Amino acid sequence: MPSWLESAREAVGPTLFDYAVSPAVKILVLMFLGILPLITYLVLAERKILGFIQARVGPNRVGPWGLLQPIADVLKLLVKEDTMPHQAVKWAFVLAPCLVVAPALIIFAVIPMGPRPAGEGLAWYITDVNTGALLVVALATIGVYGLILGGWSSNNKFSLMGGLRSAAQMISYEVPQGLALVGPLMLAGSLSLIDIVESQRALGLWFFVPQIVAFFIYVVAGVAESNRNPFDLPEAESELVAGFHTEYSGMRFALFFLGEYANMIVVSAVATTLFLGGWLRPFPNVEWLAFLDWVPPVLWFSLKVFAFLFVYIWFRGTFPRYRFDQLMDLGWKWMIPLALANILVTGLVKLAL
Amino acid sequence: MNPVNRFLDKIMLLDLFAGLGITFKNMLRKKVTVQYPEERWEPAHRFRGMFRLDEDRCIKCTICAKDCPIDIIYIDWHNEVSPETGKKEKVLTRFDIDVQRCMFCGLCEEGCPTDPKSIWLTTKTYELASYDRWSNLYVDMEELQQWRVRPAYTDEEIA
Amino acid sequence: MTEPLRDLSPDALFAAGEEMELNFGPQHPSTHGVLRLKLRVDGERIIDCYPIIGYLHRGTEKLFELHPFFQNVPHTDRMDYVAAATNNLAYVGAVEKLVGLVVPPRARYIRTLLAELQRISSHLLWLATHAIDIGAMTPFFYCFREREQILDLFEQYCGARLTLNCMRPGGLPFDLPVGWTDRCRAFVEVFPSKVDEYEGLLTNNRIWKRRTVGIGVLDAATAIDYGISGPMLRGSGVAWDLRKAMPYEAYGEVEFDVPVGKNGDTYDRYLVRIEEMRQANRILAQCLDQLPAGPIMAKRPRVLKAPKESEVYHGIEGPKGEIGFYIVGDGTPNPYRCHVRPPSFINLQVLPELTKGHLLADLVALIGTTDIVLGEVDR
Repeated sequence: MPSWLESAREAVGPTLFDYAVSPAVKILVLMFLGILPLITYLVLAERKILGFIQARVGPNRVGPWGLLQPIADVLKLLVKEDTMPHQAVKWAFVLAPCLVVAPALIIFAVIPMGPRPAGEGLAWYITDVNTGALLVVALATIGVYGLILGGWSSNNKFSLMGGLRSAAQMISYEVPQGLALVGPLMLAGSLSLIDIVESQRALGLWFFVPQIVAFFIYVVAGVAESNRNPFDLPEAESELVAGFHTEYSGMRFALFFLGEYANMIVVSAVATTLFLGGWLRPFPNVEWLAFLDWVPPVLWFSLKVFAFLFVYIWFRGTFPRYRFDQLMDLGWKWMIPLALANILVTGLVKLAL
Repeated sequence: MNPVNRFLDKIMLLDLFAGLGITFKNMLRKKVTVQYPEERWEPAHRFRGMFRLDEDRCIKCTICAKDCPIDIIYIDWHNEVSPETGKKEKVLTRFDIDVQRCMFCGLCEEGCPTDPKSIWLTTKTYELASYDRWSNLYVDMEELQQWRVRPAYTDEEIA
Repeated sequence: MTEPLRDLSPDALFAAGEEMELNFGPQHPSTHGVLRLKLRVDGERIIDCYPIIGYLHRGTEKLFELHPFFQNVPHTDRMDYVAAATNNLAYVGAVEKLVGLVVPPRARYIRTLLAELQRISSHLLWLATHAIDIGAMTPFFYCFREREQILDLFEQYCGARLTLNCMRPGGLPFDLPVGWTDRCRAFVEVFPSKVDEYEGLLTNNRIWKRRTVGIGVLDAATAIDYGISGPMLRGSGVAWDLRKAMPYEAYGEVEFDVPVGKNGDTYDRYLVRIEEMRQANRILAQCLDQLPAGPIMAKRPRVLKAPKESEVYHGIEGPKGEIGFYIVGDGTPNPYRCHVRPPSFINLQVLPELTKGHLLADLVALIGTTDIVLGEVDR
């Protein structure tokens, strides 16, 4: 720990510093320098990549290569009129966007972007909860209430259908997603996300190799959970116009938007942590690749998350949309049995070894 | 397809990967967008754009006005004694086109009996948007003669 | 919520129980214009679908009566505005039959070229919108990329990209410009690989298949009863194509196949249209090879007059089905009455039949597969 931090710790007192000041500073830094800019630029990246996929160039008017576009978008959304439909249920209408965005942001607290510090140092995570994976699943589930409430309270039939679709989608996809997480958890023997990454170092292999089935299920369920193509049914613009957020405008709409992209990042980050070795370099135990260590862990982590996000956008540029009942069919008839079988096989192998 | 192949097909997701491959390939290809205000799209020689009138060539036969399916060409003419020849000549009093309603079918140009045509649309002018609804797109004789000259468009182009 | 039941009509009260009435359109992104559908839905399942049309009615048929024959050609552009050339062709064909004009061979071939280019461009637009309705965004842009090249060809030929006005009773207004055939040939050579690209994104894709196979099954008998024509009919297994059955223009002199579907579902109609694009491409290649020299306009008086008490019907195979014109002449240069047989309007009638029992998400696929253009439905 640098000396100026040391002296700051002395000044406010170690307990207060460790449990209040340091997390608060980390949260502020992570939010305002990490996640929120990342989300706004993710929107730009999505538009750019989709543009490239679709034989066009994407936004390029605001700033060089459209780099100031997110700022313009945010400004626009901030000053836009915030409308509320006649006979909307006010409290639910206001609460819904917050319910979407808050849990997605809270999850970042437990996601490690670097190893535990040796001795007394600043850690690359906000908190190390020993039930981290469970917390992730639990919080991710809350987001869907926002969609349902938003769809219901808008007093719009299309929105209502969007909300109900998201409810059905949540039931079908939380289960296989949770079950897919069990595989790596069994291999690691811990629920703490940091321990899971460390056990991948111990194994010398990222978990997606032994847990390839769980990995695929998690990715597919993750896409479904964050309402992205090909599972973007709740907002299906060609069917339900915009689904649950038809009636939202201005900053409330922006919160929904923020929630969706935050969810994308969360799913990517969790998948990276559980299956792709978090902050570890490739082949963490191979000696002659040690030169890769000069890349800081947080960069490895970001690189993997970005790769995931690219795949997300790539999916959106390629696939048609599933139908509501087909999506549930896929969830219940394929993913849940597969995930259960995966747990069974993992358990048996673990017993045998 | 036998059951094994069908099962493999279900598991391998080859169809989905094929689609991903196509989109990836296209991502690296050249883009087709024309960056409009900087790059301008050059219309074809025959492009039917804004009108141009040549008052000297016009013989005031009003066929263009008669051929117009929506009657947006307004022509008035009167006789004047030409100071040079001393003969009576037809002179245009008014030649207005209500371009707001024009559908650029080109029948006026086709009907024009003079050679070369005295009214034509191949001016390659397509930026006709204006802020003013009522005056800018109601063009009179003077305005009609200000648009760009007819581009090279000769018989050699016709196969 | 705060004023329960007070302002609800009896119908709405009924709907509050199990069923819901849903107004789909006219301001809806996937109704392809201003179609309005009154739906009765149980959850997402459609019980009843009632199309309401007329939001784009412009009285085109009445307009026809007010103008001489040649002035009506631009009005036909504006019916099916994504397939102006075939509209022109059907109209001028009817006028030629009525007046008795013989079109010179070069004009017939160029008309065939234009009609087939238009067929490809219309099918590309259909594929683009159909795919984006089902959620695949990217084919939309790929289709438009190629469609743009066709529009460029049209622009080089007649000076307009969409509302072409590219045919006249008796022939054509212009001959082909220098280099047009080479540019067209270049397009014809490249185009099949582009179709492969669209197919690679959709044909075998399992999501696409699940969204289209077995959706909106239309059996041959029902299709014929409703008077369906075009790819909709051929998708149901009826090999009826006016280009083969009653060849007009140069279709008797070129080789092509008429693709036919088996099950009459949305997927079959998709395959039929894709194959039609390839066949149209084949026709284009043959027309370019066989293009004769000669005049492009029949010998005709400047003012065409229909014989007294004459009537004629002429239908051609447009991209969407049989587009036909029924014209009554009364000895004046104007038609006495002109009735249009628009394929979109007649194909739209089967939509309630198709949607019954399907989900809301299928409705957009079905609107896409009927391939309607509201300009033609409402006229």
